[in-house]
Amino acid sequence: MLESLQYLLTGFGVATTPENLFYCLMGAIVGTLVGILPGLGPIAGIALLIPATFNLNATSAIIMLAGIYYGAMYGGSTTSILINVPGETASVMTCIDGYQMARKGRAGPALAICAIGSFVAGTIAIFGLVFLAPPLADAALAFGPPEFFSLMVFGFVVLSNVTGGSLLKALMMAIVGLIIGTIGIDPVSGDPRFTFASTALLGGIEFVAVAIGLFGIAEVLKNVEQPIEQLEQAVLVPRLRELFPSLRDLKDSLWPILRGTGLGFGIGLVPGPAPVIATYASYMVEKRLAAHPEEFGQGAIQGVAGPESANNAACQSAFIPLFVLGIPFAPPTAILLGAFLIHGVTPGPGLIGEHPELFWGVIASMYVGNFILLLLNLPFVPLFANILRVPKKVLLPLVILFCFTGMYTVNNAVFDIWTMLAFGALGWLMRHWAYEAAPLLLALVLGPKLEVAFRQSLMISHGDFGIFLSRPVSLAFLLATLLFLAMPLARKLFGVGRARADGGAAA
Amino acid sequence: MLRHALVGLCLLLGCLVAIPAPAADFPTKEVQIIIPWAAGGATDLVFRALAAVTAKQLGKAVVVVNKPGGGGAIGYTEVMQARPDGHTLVTAVTPLTILPHQASTAFTYQNFEPIINVVEDPAMFQVRADSAWKSLAEFLDYAKKNPGMITVGNSGAGGGVHLIALAFEKAAGVKLNHIPFAGGGPSITALLGGHIHAVSCSPPEGIAHVKAGKLRIIALFSEKRMEAFPAVPVVREQGVNFTMGQWRGLAAPKGTPPDVIKKLHDAFKKGMEDPAFVKNAVDMSVHLSYMGPTEFGKVMAADHERYAKLVQEIKKQ
Repeated sequence: MLESLQYLLTGFGVATTPENLFYCLMGAIVGTLVGILPGLGPIAGIALLIPATFNLNATSAIIMLAGIYYGAMYGGSTTSILINVPGETASVMTCIDGYQMARKGRAGPALAICAIGSFVAGTIAIFGLVFLAPPLADAALAFGPPEFFSLMVFGFVVLSNVTGGSLLKALMMAIVGLIIGTIGIDPVSGDPRFTFASTALLGGIEFVAVAIGLFGIAEVLKNVEQPIEQLEQAVLVPRLRELFPSLRDLKDSLWPILRGTGLGFGIGLVPGPAPVIATYASYMVEKRLAAHPEEFGQGAIQGVAGPESANNAACQSAFIPLFVLGIPFAPPTAILLGAFLIHGVTPGPGLIGEHPELFWGVIASMYVGNFILLLLNLPFVPLFANILRVPKKVLLPLVILFCFTGMYTVNNAVFDIWTMLAFGALGWLMRHWAYEAAPLLLALVLGPKLEVAFRQSLMISHGDFGIFLSRPVSLAFLLATLLFLAMPLARKLFGVGRARADGGAAA
Repeated sequence: MLRHALVGLCLLLGCLVAIPAPAADFPTKEVQIIIPWAAGGATDLVFRALAAVTAKQLGKAVVVVNKPGGGGAIGYTEVMQARPDGHTLVTAVTPLTILPHQASTAFTYQNFEPIINVVEDPAMFQVRADSAWKSLAEFLDYAKKNPGMITVGNSGAGGGVHLIALAFEKAAGVKLNHIPFAGGGPSITALLGGHIHAVSCSPPEGIAHVKAGKLRIIALFSEKRMEAFPAVPVVREQGVNFTMGQWRGLAAPKGTPPDVIKKLHDAFKKGMEDPAFVKNAVDMSVHLSYMGPTEFGKVMAADHERYAKLVQEIKKQ
């Protein structure tokens, strides 16, 4: 442990050279911008800047590119809060309470808590990365297809009704999400499914298109229902002292931030879109533990602090499999792997030994980077909050423009824009009839992975279902799922558990 | 009034941009290389590096654009329909000859003009270092006695390394259990965690772990031994007459004029010889293998036939 601290100090020496500080700053700025623009995510940002790093040494290059990744987690919440458009896939949950806070004139505290929470989460997560990396990487390897399946069943069941409301409607939306997730190429047999002989559909439905459509476009459509005069009057213009979080806000956010960090760090180790799932889990946990759960969905600051911390922590812990195993678990880390390779560094078991200055330099630069991002984001809070003063008749078309350009940058595909518009219309209808978008998105993310894990497991076991029960980790998750499902029943039958303010188990 | 002036100005600028340029001055604007896969993959890395050095040769920017989806179908369909003036190219990799047999695509390799091949990656099987099979002979022996029991992971159903594994099965006369994963990374992870017995892959997948002693190459499907691992024999040396790899090159839409193809070919060939690019390739453990347009075209045609048969067989299963 002391050894690690010593190495970390040398890492700081590397990270704080003027050159590396500059690249860290560049990465942070680009990351924030990339996070703010909806659709354009760290993947595109990193990929676009790789050629710019060809002439740099490996350490500086990775410092900058890594900065883009965690920087995007800071910036992603900005548009989520201000205009209900998720800037980043991992910012979807922030839309739910963040936007409601903005509508009540509390955009400033929301934005500030996001920055603060992201900083705390990122910093704590880096400590985890430094001291726990090798054992955690080994633990991550223990997850095979059966364990993934059971974990995802657990996640699916627990998180489906994350926003509360009618369970039936949430399940319906989840099933719609599952169906949409099947469009494309069958992951096991390679046959096209539901593509209706269209080349565009062969790639499946893009998650970002659905997210931006259901949240951003649908919100604009909902706004347009009212006459413009009514809309303009409804904006609450915040006063200067309301632009910063109050002591009460900070106090309320403390535990959500810490819990979000823990959850995000753990979930970030699971392959796949871990930051998204971490935000769902954090929201769920905060809602369950809150003193006033009915505030969630109306602008509860815990619903912003928790998820935003979770996605930053997940982003940092996603580096662990990359550094220690040399295997990227999340798409942005796959691009980073490429960047490593181009610079002649192969991450993996040999990395820490062969390139200690790179490893510790990058780790130290993450601390520096998180700090820079805090300094970058906080002063802009009043500026961003005042964007809401822009008259709706100018703001709403700008939002649409943002959505269009951001969407196109993901895959350079016009088809995605059509998808986004279609889901925008669907989202508007859904709002009318009180159907939640969150379960649909969760199912879209988890469904395909669940299916692949299930079929892989059965292929490995030659069709024997026992494989899910014979392996301890898998069995544990399945039992946890059963317990979770049985809890509301148990409460009704045995009267166990505290009485809730809303009068009864939210089953 | 101002509004009208603004609109007029935009229209004028638009017209200027649309004036067609004479073909003899190729390239007249930036050259786009479309990659039909998401950023970060092996193809992406190689061609981003190559694009950076070739820009000097062509005198214009060479830009890489990712158009992922459909296993590559989306990108290929788009380039097939692009204007054949040499400004839009596509990375032609082995799946180009596999896809048309798996799904009814609008294209085959014949909708493209080959320009140059850049990389040829050997395919291989890897096992864990602590695996009971110490040689290919032991591996095949076990497979013959226990058909369908050895699990071999791959980077995707119907993908390059999956088909290579199937072809090897036939050549060696064994039956294996193929488990698809969403890419090379997850398949290597599953192998490291001991969830599958072996993996079918291609560099740079798994190479770092082989160098670190955690994984072993148990079957190598190239013609010659790899420079990085001179002690690992190819399967040809061990009695199985089988070689198969994946190629990565560049192609243009059919109908691109021959002199434009020649200009592109010469520029990219010089780019391939650029020391900065060569160093990148060595660092990434990709094997540079130049092929000119005619030779590349023949390889594509041969592989198209070969994969037609292979895919037929999978579909029957």
